[in-house]
Amino acid sequence: MRSASELSRRTTSVRRRLSALVTLLALAAAAGSASAGDLFVICNPGVTLQAGDVKDVFLGDKAFAGAVKLSPADNAAAQATFLEKVLKLDAGKYSGIWTKKSFRDGANPPPVKGTDAEMVAYVKQTPGACGYVGSTPAAGVTVIAKF
Amino acid sequence: MLTQFKFPLRALVLGAALSTVCGAALAAGSDGDKLAEMQRKLDQSIQMIEALSARVRELEAHQAPAKQAGAAPATPAGVERLDSVEQRVQQMEAANANRHADDSSLPIHGFADVGAGNYNPLNKELKGANVGNLDFYLAPKLGDRTLSLFELNFEVSPDGTVGVDLERAQVGYQFNDQATLWVGRFHTPFGYINTALHHGGWISTSLRRPKFVQFEDHGGILPIHTVGAWLTGAVRSGDGKVLYDLYAGNGQEIIGGVLDMRNAGNSHGNPMVGGRLGYRFGGKLDGLTLGLHGFVDKVADDFEPTDYTRVKMVGAYAVYDTDQWEHIAEFYAFNDEDLSGGTGSHRSEAGFVQLGYRASWGIPYLRYERASLQQSDAYFAALTSLNSGASYYRNALGLRFELDAKTALKFELANTHTTDRAPDQYNEAQVQYAIRF
Repeated sequence: MRSASELSRRTTSVRRRLSALVTLLALAAAAGSASAGDLFVICNPGVTLQAGDVKDVFLGDKAFAGAVKLSPADNAAAQATFLEKVLKLDAGKYSGIWTKKSFRDGANPPPVKGTDAEMVAYVKQTPGACGYVGSTPAAGVTVIAKF
Repeated sequence: MLTQFKFPLRALVLGAALSTVCGAALAAGSDGDKLAEMQRKLDQSIQMIEALSARVRELEAHQAPAKQAGAAPATPAGVERLDSVEQRVQQMEAANANRHADDSSLPIHGFADVGAGNYNPLNKELKGANVGNLDFYLAPKLGDRTLSLFELNFEVSPDGTVGVDLERAQVGYQFNDQATLWVGRFHTPFGYINTALHHGGWISTSLRRPKFVQFEDHGGILPIHTVGAWLTGAVRSGDGKVLYDLYAGNGQEIIGGVLDMRNAGNSHGNPMVGGRLGYRFGGKLDGLTLGLHGFVDKVADDFEPTDYTRVKMVGAYAVYDTDQWEHIAEFYAFNDEDLSGGTGSHRSEAGFVQLGYRASWGIPYLRYERASLQQSDAYFAALTSLNSGASYYRNALGLRFELDAKTALKFELANTHTTDRAPDQYNEAQVQYAIRF
């Protein structure tokens, strides 16, 4: 039987994780928040990609890396920096490009993750996934480019 | 907390009782009646003390489990509940990381527009306000390589009736970046605007398409839609990409003066085949695309006896689309062969040039369009709806304002000359409010 102190510790842990989760969801909803500094484009270790391909991947012009179907995702916490540094677009134009792309080619825009941690988890566990983070990524993903 | 008050409470009650008894005794002296009264009151006080003591014990008994909870082992029910909460938190974290990665939801997007003008933009017989399109499109993701695209358009026809068209119903398989095969009803890949800027007023800079490239039931002369199969892709070459399209579908028929793509198959069984080949430049010429296009189509009309025409079109297109400019030019040359009337071949041509400048405050554009169509050609002669097969030229000056990322307000002034059949000319002033969602 577990002790009360252990239960107390776990309860606190659950509360903290719930609080963090709610914060992450709120951050995800508030798309466009920028983080200054470096930006890392990361992919699942099964993806071989050149830095020069990043723009094509996120604008839907490149859907494959060899035989691997790519699954790019946006990161709300670093999207403003990514659009400015890498794609040279503002959010409205980026959205418009994907509207046209989807209407013309049936392609779907990248899903949006809320934080670096979410992005890293998504890229790790999804074959073909690529994304970007504003902090040095943890092990388990491949850094394609640093901006 | 109750323990802290236990002894003071008892002392207080006892003190109160003793003071009552003593006070009474001092006042009573040695009188027997008064002594009996004192005895009775003392008994009452003792009973009160006992009752209060019992209540204190009862409260202490209730407080004990709560007091001991901090030190006692947790109950199995509590542990199970905490396990359950932890599991739920883990599931929420995992689900959040996979948010939008699943395919269970199907977003619906679309376009809509309304407008007004001294003439209806498609039909100069009508004037005033007009409702344009309410266009929905769906792109459900079916698998890594399987694509699908469905477009449902609620549109007001040039005569004012509301109709529903399944504009596109195509399912595709993406082999790689160089090849995707679509099957179903799709936008026929010729020129630039027919695949890049189709239904949905918002998506186009201009208020409307050039007249001869309008949709089949809006006065167009080209097979805007095809029902069949379409292979398309892009192959990187140098700084740019080679773009190609090959397609085959049902040969078109003209019914009631309108070109029809024959959704369920045509009556003569002949196919339409065509292709488009272009090059999208990169580097210093990024934004420039040049290409060629063409098709061959055996078209029947609904006259008695039926006329058959082999419509052969070849042409070229050019696009310069950058942050600052949007220039589009398309050219179509027809060499149609009369297969049933013995009138031989007929040459016609059509084209337009549109120049646009993306200023910070809006996009002004100019367009010149012209169609010179042989009326002895059974194909154009049969296109009678909205006088679509007539030759004409039009000059247009327009302006587009972006009210926000999803809303555009457009104005267009145009002068149109019809040069054969019933020669005519008219001036138009149009306004359009177009949105995407």
